[in-house]
Amino acid sequence: MNAALLSLFAPLAGGLLLVLWRPARAGLALGVALVSLLAAAAALHQVADGTRQWLEVGGWAPPLAIRLQLTPLSALLLLFTAGLHLLVAVYAARRPHAIGGADFWPLACLLHAALAALWLSADLFNLYVTLELLGLAAVALVALAGEKAQRPALDYLLLSLAGSLAYLLGVAILYGRYGVLDLFLLGEQATADAPTRLALLLMTLGLMLKGALWPLHLWLPAAHSSAPAAVSALLSALVVKGPLYILWLLWTRLAPTELAVQAGPLLAGAGALALLAGGWAALRTPLLKSLVAYSTVAQLGYALLALGLAMHWQEPRLEAALWLFVVAHGLAKVSMFLAAGELQHTLGGKRVVTLKGASQTLPVTMFTFVTAGVSLIGLPPSGGFLAKWLLLQPLLERPQHWGWALAVVLGTLMSAAYVFRVVAHGFDRARPQPPQVRPDRFGQWLTLLPALLVFGLALIGERMLPWLEGVSR
Amino acid sequence: MAEGLFDLVLAGLLLMLAGGALYGRSLYTSILLFVTFGLVLALVWARLGAVDLALAEAAIGAGLTGALLFAALARQGRAPEGEFDLACRRRGLAAAAVLLPVLWLMLSSLAPLAERDSPLPELALAALPHSGVEHPVTAVLLNYRAWDTLLELAVLLLALLGARQLGSGRLDTARPWPQLRAWNAHLAPLLVLVGGFLLWRGSSAPGGAFQAGALLAAGVVSLRLAHLLPPLRWSFWPLRLLVLLGLALFLAVAAAGAWLGQGWLSYPAGWAKPLILAIEVAATLSIAASLSLLVVGERREPAP
Repeated sequence: MNAALLSLFAPLAGGLLLVLWRPARAGLALGVALVSLLAAAAALHQVADGTRQWLEVGGWAPPLAIRLQLTPLSALLLLFTAGLHLLVAVYAARRPHAIGGADFWPLACLLHAALAALWLSADLFNLYVTLELLGLAAVALVALAGEKAQRPALDYLLLSLAGSLAYLLGVAILYGRYGVLDLFLLGEQATADAPTRLALLLMTLGLMLKGALWPLHLWLPAAHSSAPAAVSALLSALVVKGPLYILWLLWTRLAPTELAVQAGPLLAGAGALALLAGGWAALRTPLLKSLVAYSTVAQLGYALLALGLAMHWQEPRLEAALWLFVVAHGLAKVSMFLAAGELQHTLGGKRVVTLKGASQTLPVTMFTFVTAGVSLIGLPPSGGFLAKWLLLQPLLERPQHWGWALAVVLGTLMSAAYVFRVVAHGFDRARPQPPQVRPDRFGQWLTLLPALLVFGLALIGERMLPWLEGVSR
Repeated sequence: MAEGLFDLVLAGLLLMLAGGALYGRSLYTSILLFVTFGLVLALVWARLGAVDLALAEAAIGAGLTGALLFAALARQGRAPEGEFDLACRRRGLAAAAVLLPVLWLMLSSLAPLAERDSPLPELALAALPHSGVEHPVTAVLLNYRAWDTLLELAVLLLALLGARQLGSGRLDTARPWPQLRAWNAHLAPLLVLVGGFLLWRGSSAPGGAFQAGALLAAGVVSLRLAHLLPPLRWSFWPLRLLVLLGLALFLAVAAAGAWLGQGWLSYPAGWAKPLILAIEVAATLSIAASLSLLVVGERREPAP
């Protein structure tokens, strides 16, 4: 547990130090992310065999105080968060255009700390506080982009607060009903009565709003596409996963089974529609970053579909698919947003059509975009493919589930279409850009790294899939 | 009977003030009504027996939020009045259409909850002798659930960092009124005294860091408006240190506990009271600095 605490402590203390200490911020932030990464790796090593560790904060027993839990899944998410933060920090230190302002460094560190606190928490009210931290850090990061981002940032703030309030109201109702706030104690006591239903409904709606799950996703495209490139990468890859994690905790750990079985199809249906609606919007939008942002909406649909069906059928394989989606999407989306930022910065246009000839002027970046896109589509042998394979297996086993499989296939076709829309422009040699653009070599290859890691997931897939199925139980 | 009547009047007044704040003719009157709303709400909390909440509501909900709203109004240009009214009415109808059914739903399913008792208050009282303080609310905030409070301080810091990103809007204060300057000379020491009292009292009775910090911030704001203080600049590092002090000390105690002692945020035996007090003092200063920076801080930094 101490390793996990170090992984949380490092970014929190680092964030404070970065507020105070102005010079050489990038180096300090890199060091913080590295320490956090190593600590998270140690934490994962401790619990890799499926054990679960508890920490009673302050030494008080659970109903009175807060418990933190370290499960293999939360250790994996800690590692994932720290790794992506390190990567984005390296990129941001190299490419100052991608961060918007010097306040990026403390804010990114605090965002990292908020996520780490969220993965470790096992207390409903504490989760609310981490959600608030996460939301405020994300809004401040969006606002870094300057005047044009103020409107989306304000919308994001207001909707995020509305989501938090709905969640908090749900927490208050549960507290009124059961008198405890600890997630697992609640899980033992919960019965399917009217207050519990109402609380779960409110919390689910609030979390869906905060996590931009369809149909409450309308703030996401504007906020994610107007933020600086490094911020968009963090927001899409990590921030929206926080509420998703809480949603998963709620429905698999707290909610009575009969309620979860009832609510599953609703969430799965929202996920299926997210696939189609997000994909369609990504196909139609004229702007490059907006396309990538809508693709986040669509990809979150897979996760929601997996969650809903896992609840409905009580199927652990689907929970493993959910977390594999989260990891694969996070890695691919970091690459894609950084590549989009690089393309936009070098070619000087926001629209998809300005990419004409990009395969000649920025071959590596274009390659990155395509590699990440291949994982988003789910072509083998990427991590996206593994996740989709895991999702499809239980769907194909029985003919009455084929409708869901059809939605997944349609979503895949849509994502292929929007990725190829960008690729087609990139390889269009009709009007090549003037060749005097000077791409930054290191930055380009760095953006490729997470996309390659997604493909690396396939190499360890054989061992990872059974492990994931085990740990998400 | 008389008490029931008083409560009824309070509740009615609260609703009327809320309506007035939402549908006020100008933003200025709306803010005034909102501040009054906060004060009446503080009375309501006091009637419900939640004195801590009443203090917090009066200091933060009414006082500081009001000051923040006025500061925002002063920083903003003139809003187009006519359009505002129309949009406001339509939005109000939409909100009513959503909220009334929700309210109905909630009331019907929440009514039975009023009779239920939580085991937590008894547990909190039973553990009180080991918590280092005598007031249960302070024990919950700084001992049992100290991790929440630590993160809340980070929330305040993030709010400050976030507000900084919006930049530009300048707060031009008029030449201070001579009377304001004269009064401030007496008011400021008094506020420090009351703030310190609230802080100290927090260990045994309602009060604590947030309320005391808000009072201190009110003193700083009024001194700044009277031009008795220099502009508060973010680039001045001791000020940033002050903002971070509470969170940093809290975090240091937590980490020291995990490294050397029994665990994350566990106070060693016998040290609970002094540590809690030290954290509360640091947090009060930080809260005061953050809140005053939010209201009267200079947004624009001089070019380096």
